[in-house]
Amino acid sequence: MTLTVVDDVPYLDVANPKFSIRSQEVKDARTRSWYARTTYGIAVLRYDEVQKLLRHPKLRQGSYLWPQHNGVEGKFARWWCDMLLCQEGDTHARLRRMANPAFSPKLIADLQPKFQALANRLIDQFIDRGECDFIADFTEPYATGVICDLLGLPFDRWRELADMAADMGLALGVTFKQDLPKIEAAIERLFQYAEEVVAERRANPTDDFVGMLVQANRDKAQLSDQELLDMIVLAIFGGIDTTRNQIGLAMEQFILHPAQWALLAEQPDLAKAAVEEVMRVRPTVTWVTRAATETFTFNDLEIAAGTTLHLYSQAAATDPALMPDAEVFDITAERKPHFGFGGGAHHCLGHFIARGDMTEALKLLAQRLKNPRFNGEVEWLPDSGNTGAIRMPIAFDRA
Amino acid sequence: MKINVDMSICLMHGQCVIAAPQVFSFNDAGDLVWLTDVDDALRADVEAAADACPEQAIQIEA
Repeated sequence: MTLTVVDDVPYLDVANPKFSIRSQEVKDARTRSWYARTTYGIAVLRYDEVQKLLRHPKLRQGSYLWPQHNGVEGKFARWWCDMLLCQEGDTHARLRRMANPAFSPKLIADLQPKFQALANRLIDQFIDRGECDFIADFTEPYATGVICDLLGLPFDRWRELADMAADMGLALGVTFKQDLPKIEAAIERLFQYAEEVVAERRANPTDDFVGMLVQANRDKAQLSDQELLDMIVLAIFGGIDTTRNQIGLAMEQFILHPAQWALLAEQPDLAKAAVEEVMRVRPTVTWVTRAATETFTFNDLEIAAGTTLHLYSQAAATDPALMPDAEVFDITAERKPHFGFGGGAHHCLGHFIARGDMTEALKLLAQRLKNPRFNGEVEWLPDSGNTGAIRMPIAFDRA
Repeated sequence: MKINVDMSICLMHGQCVIAAPQVFSFNDAGDLVWLTDVDDALRADVEAAADACPEQAIQIEA
């Protein structure tokens, strides 16, 4: 690598909460170069490079460095670095094999009627008002309800779970350090909750996901006490926060593209493709993180061991160089696979469930809420890291 | 039991390698390789691999 190349490379001030992953600055950087330098390391901006680096043998999942990047220690950082996502090799394989069956695609058919009933029940509660806060009234109770169903948790404490997940989600944004007291309080409460659940399941065994983990935990070499709690916390947090954000982002896209919403209402079979299209142009997980395990050269760039690479899922999948209409939101278009669920060994564990529950939600929402529009100011998380709306007042016409 | 992987949809996540390491692996060139005819003793692992494949690219015959 020569100094001239370094000078030509764009720099992105990613740690600034005002930075937007969808800004003109990022698009210009993507036109100039396949990568940019950032506060954290390297941002990869184009489709082919993201696809290759997502599963590159010299890279590992890089999120374990996130607390360190933010100068953060504590309970969240301990959990984060020990849980499934940040493990590699044999430990990762053992935990992943254990968790897989609970998230099997075979479960979706059984869960579909539950997803529909939950969505309809939530819509019933606000439909007559002609307005709602789409996050508090729909995406939060919906995402939480799905996880309650999956883990066999009582739905009556959904608000508490949703709040804990939302506060913990702040850790995945660039304001991690500033939000740390809230995050630490949330993880403390979530671990207490997980301990209660485990105690209850030890007393009353079940054959669901938590019951299966409790069973495996009888052999501490198979699943230690700490791993058991870490896994339950991951399932609750991972399942709620991402889906809550992603359905909110879907509503934003459809409000901005009303003809697409009308089309979805007319053709409910498009809901599955709609989920993929939303995740292509507006993923909640705006970057997938990798770290170099050794120094290697890629596209003439020397990447030093320990370098963090953020693979920009949205920028890569909406690159006009990839296809001319890449920036257009069109639920009928044929698209290449997006990176909204990551990829490789750490591909999102819950993606079949997430795809299934978001499909049913969009289908029913499009049929029951006509002409959705913003009805007040939408409050957003920073437009980087894991993003989404905190509050989204909308108005609509009843179908 | 015969195993087929539809390489037109496989995205090389390697979830099958995690689920059934005796059947699926990556070779030195980074390509996915697998045993096409496998003893029934490994059926549970192979089914877990087919299940876990994010792209649902693995087919099991008889």
